[in-house]
Amino acid sequence: MQRFRRIVAAIALAATATTTVAACGDDDSGDDSGAKTLKLWHYEGENSAMGVGWDRAIEIFKTEHPGVEVRFERKAFEQIQQNAGMIINSSEGPDIMEYNKGNATAGLLSSQGLLTDLSYEAAKRGWADRLSPSLQTTARYSDKGVMGSGNWFGVPNYGEYVTVYYNKDLFDRNGVKVPTTMAELTAAMDTFVGKKITPLGMAGAEYPAGQLFYQLALSKADRQFVDDYQLYKNPVDFRADPLKYGADTFADWVRKGYVAKDSASLKAEDMGTAFIAGKTPMIVSGSWWYGRFKAEMKANWDTFLFPGNTLNAGSSGNIWVVPTNSKAKSLAYDFIDITLRPEIQDLIGNNGGVPVAGDPAKISDPKDRKLIEDFNTVSKQDGLAFYPDWPVPGYYDVLVGGFQGLINGSKSPDQVLDTIAKPYADGVKEITGK
Amino acid sequence: MAVSDTVAATPSAATPTPAPPSRRRPGGRDAAYWLYLLPGAVLFILVIGVPLVGTGYLSLTRWSGVGDPTFVGWDNYQRLLHDEVFWASFRNTVAMIVAMVVVPTLLGLLLASVLFDVIGRRFRPRTAAALRAAFYLPQVLPVVVAGIVWGWILRPDGAFNSLLDAVGLGALRHDWLGDPDTALPAVMAVMIWVQIGYPVVVFMAALQRVDPELYEAAEVDGANWLRRFRAITLPQIRPETFVVALTCTIAALKVFGPIYALTRGGPENATNVPSYFAYYTFFKKLQVGYGSAISTVLTLIIVVVAVVFIGVQARSERRDRGI
Repeated sequence: MQRFRRIVAAIALAATATTTVAACGDDDSGDDSGAKTLKLWHYEGENSAMGVGWDRAIEIFKTEHPGVEVRFERKAFEQIQQNAGMIINSSEGPDIMEYNKGNATAGLLSSQGLLTDLSYEAAKRGWADRLSPSLQTTARYSDKGVMGSGNWFGVPNYGEYVTVYYNKDLFDRNGVKVPTTMAELTAAMDTFVGKKITPLGMAGAEYPAGQLFYQLALSKADRQFVDDYQLYKNPVDFRADPLKYGADTFADWVRKGYVAKDSASLKAEDMGTAFIAGKTPMIVSGSWWYGRFKAEMKANWDTFLFPGNTLNAGSSGNIWVVPTNSKAKSLAYDFIDITLRPEIQDLIGNNGGVPVAGDPAKISDPKDRKLIEDFNTVSKQDGLAFYPDWPVPGYYDVLVGGFQGLINGSKSPDQVLDTIAKPYADGVKEITGK
Repeated sequence: MAVSDTVAATPSAATPTPAPPSRRRPGGRDAAYWLYLLPGAVLFILVIGVPLVGTGYLSLTRWSGVGDPTFVGWDNYQRLLHDEVFWASFRNTVAMIVAMVVVPTLLGLLLASVLFDVIGRRFRPRTAAALRAAFYLPQVLPVVVAGIVWGWILRPDGAFNSLLDAVGLGALRHDWLGDPDTALPAVMAVMIWVQIGYPVVVFMAALQRVDPELYEAAEVDGANWLRRFRAITLPQIRPETFVVALTCTIAALKVFGPIYALTRGGPENATNVPSYFAYYTFFKKLQVGYGSAISTVLTLIIVVVAVVFIGVQARSERRDRGI
């Protein structure tokens, strides 16, 4: 009988959650200063840099808030991504949660009044001063849910960016020097091809192809292009540079053997494990690989920024959000504040993560320090250009499909650009109404 | 209908110990049946009926999953008619029906007959049972696990290409799942492997039901294996054939797991199917209304197919009984 009641209650909860979402406003005026519980959800691995940093932040929070119970639950990324709307609209949701940045996620929920406006706290507690403008892009959303302007609905405390990982041993064995320009990079790749080694790891079935294309496009782009492409400031011509250059060069790299023609079905994991195994001299991918390579790779390796690029794919990491239904908002703000303190930021950095407000001098491992210095270089020159699949929901699969065609040679660069142009235009129209 | 007719027509005289009439009220028997149906009916309404109606309603709206849906009438269905990906996904469904229904049913029939009639007789029955279990093994494996393993086998540096190298056919090495020309046939091959055990097991059970005297009589009359197969086996196991064909067709129409694990509908929609397309539209594009329209059309097709199958089966049974 009790089970039956639970089932009925669960169904009623689900029905309520789906039908009353719109009823929620952004009222955060409730006095929760006496809250004795902080429900905190995130989806970082226990041993990841962020996981380690936030475990410590929870300890500090408990010390500073005696009598407050922290109820932490580790969630799966997909679980949050697909159900966040329903979860945070119910009374069962957390008081503070790690959530995916971007228009289709945090932007969508903020536009529906499901997230608390953090602008006042950001100004009062100095969060706004600690984050560079390009990092703030993912924290702020317009009333339509478009990132880059408007109020603060999230706070990032770590960053990520696309860089080049290279196998030092393979470079040394084949007499290749670390390239600092695009010409040197192509010369290095020619050397490897001459020795029958495919120089650049690739995984056509997931994000790496789209990110390489975007890195190539960004080498011919400026901030105006990024604003147009990501924030819909002006229409984007897919048949013109920089996107045309990106697609043409990608196809050229496949033709020259820099990228394997039979990598269309490979997943990012395949690319990563091939690099770990020392089969691939270079991969162009995100800083999220760093900790894994550090833990698992036997060969000597290091990173360098994509040669010649001022703009690089990258952004803040995912963000802390405070649901409108949170019953412990003051405590949630205190927790966010702790995660931005130097102690936690340095801890993230010393565990292979990229803190947004870290001091490289406090990072003991030179390789870790370089990763953070490179990020700070990109961030300071306003060089975080976000990711190619961000502009519209579902664009990730569009890009994957398009670049699989380029890798396996079934489509020309112009055909691929046409393939990815239409869903972009449709998606932008859906969001902006233009 | 047929069941209640049969039960109602059963004369009480045929039942040795009928329930005392005093405990029955007029129509009480029907009422008792309804009572037994009640839990199932309640669950059906909650788990299938309500979401079905909800999906039908959402298919007439534009909705991102949060906030208020906007009623747009038949817009989503009109959009479906002109959506190339939708039609491509249905073309791929035809291929899935070939791989999950036609080939496994025909092959399953043949394998079951050989196992039952040849292996079972010439060797010990345990040998046939072991082989049957071997064919059924892929059905026991979680489909996503099977998909991931096949993904490893078919990848460019996977076992299949290594095998080709080993037997001197290295020139045929290929990115089987990465090329739009070979991805669908590769997925079809995997699905045949997954499905084959199901008809084999069902048909072998059916064959055990067939009266052995029929075969013995046919053998005495000089009928060879093929003749016995056509004249006895096929007609005798027709009900099971209908069940296999119907359940496999429904499975093929709503196939999702293997596509998700193997190709995510790619490359370039070469292996996209309606259920994956609906999932993608729902959760990736956040177009819940449009995704609901795809799901509704898919549901209607499955219902129509099921009704047609059951109708044909009922007619066939009536014909067999000479009604």
